[in-house]
Amino acid sequence: MSDPADYDIRYTQISDAAYLRRWILHDQVLQWMPLSTESEIENGIQCWVNFSRWNASLTATIKGIPCGIATLFLMPYRKVAHQACIKIIVDVPQQKKGIGTSLMKNLKHLSKNYFKLEVLGAELFSEKNPLVPFLIKENFHEVFRQEKFLKTNAGYEPRIYLEMSL
Amino acid sequence: MTITIQPSLFEEEVYLTQWLSEPETLQWFPLSDAKEIEDAVKIWMGYSKLHACFTAFVDQEVAGIVSICLQPYIKLSHQSLFSIVVGKQYRNRGVGKALLEHIIEIGKTKFHLEILHLEVYEGNPAIRFYQRLGFKEYGRHPHFIKIREGEYLDKIMMEKPLSTPS
Repeated sequence: MSDPADYDIRYTQISDAAYLRRWILHDQVLQWMPLSTESEIENGIQCWVNFSRWNASLTATIKGIPCGIATLFLMPYRKVAHQACIKIIVDVPQQKKGIGTSLMKNLKHLSKNYFKLEVLGAELFSEKNPLVPFLIKENFHEVFRQEKFLKTNAGYEPRIYLEMSL
Repeated sequence: MTITIQPSLFEEEVYLTQWLSEPETLQWFPLSDAKEIEDAVKIWMGYSKLHACFTAFVDQEVAGIVSICLQPYIKLSHQSLFSIVVGKQYRNRGVGKALLEHIIEIGKTKFHLEILHLEVYEGNPAIRFYQRLGFKEYGRHPHFIKIREGEYLDKIMMEKPLSTPS
């Protein structure tokens, strides 16, 4: 990470969508997502940043500039509200500097202490996704997988569901 | 007794609301109260705009409704979840089977689906019905539903391949 004095984590703002859009459009990121067209990407971004309205999303900044976002996709119904799916992204040039780990630490704290969650989940759409080893390091484990969930010209990919207990 | 199946009209949401509001039906859904039922019914009946929602009639009376929850993204559009509810007085009379056979056919021919899948909760007697129609369990999500403190139900996920892709 750069000088810790320059680094901060704050609640996500709707205006962070512009950064999220840029990060998602990076080839190394988009290939791991189910989104393909411009309208799908826009829809995905709006859905993601909307969780900031419930203070369920954190943005990491360096010198005030967003460099990563971690979000709790809160469940809409009470019987399932003890869990949430997470999404996390770090701007490619800022990866491998501990920003993801820092975001996860803060997101787990928010999940446990503010939202009183018991479990965090994560959905990935390929076992080659570099988030798999990252989440394993963060104590996630595979709960189930749905084969042939995603289809591209290159073939099928599974939906891999990982979970960690808080 | 004659079972006919028609594309659903949004106004038929009242039947879905009425069926889901019965505690013995509601126990098998992640919904808890009138507001959650209203939200879910609006989502399910919303698929009628995509002509993916069908109503079964028994002797002209509304008896059951099924929605194919079409995926919003191209990479996922070869598979779909569905949700189905049959009115209590019409169960065990072939209504659910007629609805499922209808969406299996429509799923293949109209929506070009390769896989239909469903989610059901541990203990739901409908599991045997889905098995009879060729659905197989592919995964289980432990503790997905929280009934009360310390008491949970697993989510069982089942799928049925509809065709071999060309």
